[in-house]
Amino acid sequence: MTALIANTLDERPARRRIGRPSKIAFLFIAPYLFFFVIFRIIPALSAIALSFGSYSISGKIDFVGIENYQRLFADPLFWNALGVTALYTAVAVPGSVIFSLFMAQLANRSIRGMRVYRTLFFLPVVTSLVAAGLVWRWILSDNGPANWFVGLFGVPPIPWLTSGDTVVQSLAIVGIWGGFGYFMLIILAGLLAIPAEFDEAAKVDGANAWQRYWHVTLPQLRPTLLVVVILSFIGSFQVFDLIYVMTSGGPVRSSYSLVFFLYDQGFHYFDFGFASAAGVILFLITFGVSAIQRRLFGDNQS
Amino acid sequence: MRWTRRSGWAPHIPLIIVAAATAFPFYVMIVMSISTPGPFDLPGSLIPTKIDLGPYIEAISGANLGRWFINTVLFAGLAVVLTLFLASLAGYAFAKKNFKGRDILFWMCVAVLMVPGQLYLIPQFILISRLGLVDTFAGLLLPGIASVQALFLMRQFIRGIPDELLEAARIDGAGDFRIFFQIVLPLCGPVLATLGIFTFLWHWNEFLWPLIVTRSPENYTLTLGLNSLKAQELSFNAEMAASVITLVPVVIVFLIFQRHFVRGVMTSGIK
Repeated sequence: MTALIANTLDERPARRRIGRPSKIAFLFIAPYLFFFVIFRIIPALSAIALSFGSYSISGKIDFVGIENYQRLFADPLFWNALGVTALYTAVAVPGSVIFSLFMAQLANRSIRGMRVYRTLFFLPVVTSLVAAGLVWRWILSDNGPANWFVGLFGVPPIPWLTSGDTVVQSLAIVGIWGGFGYFMLIILAGLLAIPAEFDEAAKVDGANAWQRYWHVTLPQLRPTLLVVVILSFIGSFQVFDLIYVMTSGGPVRSSYSLVFFLYDQGFHYFDFGFASAAGVILFLITFGVSAIQRRLFGDNQS
Repeated sequence: MRWTRRSGWAPHIPLIIVAAATAFPFYVMIVMSISTPGPFDLPGSLIPTKIDLGPYIEAISGANLGRWFINTVLFAGLAVVLTLFLASLAGYAFAKKNFKGRDILFWMCVAVLMVPGQLYLIPQFILISRLGLVDTFAGLLLPGIASVQALFLMRQFIRGIPDELLEAARIDGAGDFRIFFQIVLPLCGPVLATLGIFTFLWHWNEFLWPLIVTRSPENYTLTLGLNSLKAQELSFNAEMAASVITLVPVVIVFLIFQRHFVRGVMTSGIK
């Protein structure tokens, strides 16, 4: 479940509500708070603490300062994972955003069968990535349907998942397949919220369809696109399930992503402190890039 | 809804191409799940000539599919009940009650939203193993039930309920719990439905946490079980049959509650 961070942040702090301070309110929040503190707040803080420590099987944590971070930055595996993740993101984010924008435009009209189209486009979103990964692995295998299809056009077989040069791009295509229906719906909601008068006014002024789209629709869609870019960026940067099922990080670690690295270090080598440091870096990158995107694309918002 | 002017058949061409490409993996899954295992040729193998349920029999007898299915139903079902219960109670307090520390707590939740789930994995795992809950149902279920997104959605919705309604009930002598269960909760029907469906779906497809916390094959959820089939001596066709079995409940839920899905995404970006 992806949070709509933008929505919640734009909301002003809760207004004062009825009546005087109430003690009974604590009874209402106590059950939630119990699980929230134990399984969210404490782990989040521990992760940061753990990244500066070394955890031994006995459960003792020794403070080691920034040693985990030093090791991390000296580890070629980490840089490889960062590079793989960046490449995946660089393909998946623009691909998802442009493709969903295009599809939202197409889907924003009343033609026969539109409901069926939209249902189909959303189907991959509700599909388990493990199940999707299994079938895509076969489709993209060397003798699979994808190569049969490109062969029809005289293209020689492509080593989709078996070459380090193509594997990340192939995974990103599957990622786009899995998410565009969701982004398309968000953009569609944004399109429907633009008052029709704007478009009509531009039409009266003699703007052609392309000019109206470029100068009227797109600027109005900017906040929506910002949300889509951020959500798609966060999702791409945390890619794991697909890779785990389709390539296990291979061939030769060429699809070994950052979350895969974290999983491996934490749950195969049980190097908890080191893996937590990787988690903190992951957090800082997603947080930082989202903030930059907000600044770049959201500047004409309040 | 505003529609652009009526168009001819031209927009259908790109739509049909994309629809075909989107549906293709599902088509492959279904066709292969009813084909006899063995060497394949393309495109011949993708055009079904007869139905062979062998792969389903192979999947069900070769793997513990029934058990995994029950585990997943219980996991997703209980997660929905508990998530909605905790979030609606707390959402009511955050929306309609005044208490000390409310705004601090609220912003604490906002801050937690920014933290990617992977950062919690290791401390959560340490916690669960200290509690002796590794490879148990509780260990699988409990860490995820205090959902921040659910809390926000509930709070947002309950804020829209007019105060006068609650005041009237209070004047009639109803206490907070009666107001909550007899007035607030029934009014929350639509948001509970949307939230419930997404929570169900999310847990049904969840992979990373079950992968970490589950050990024995009899405690697997369907996604874990599906993943484990790769290492087994099952045919590709049986893998596809197991995938279809994993997808069918989700697709049914999706088709029935499609309206809620679309509304959920379009109004709040929930996923």
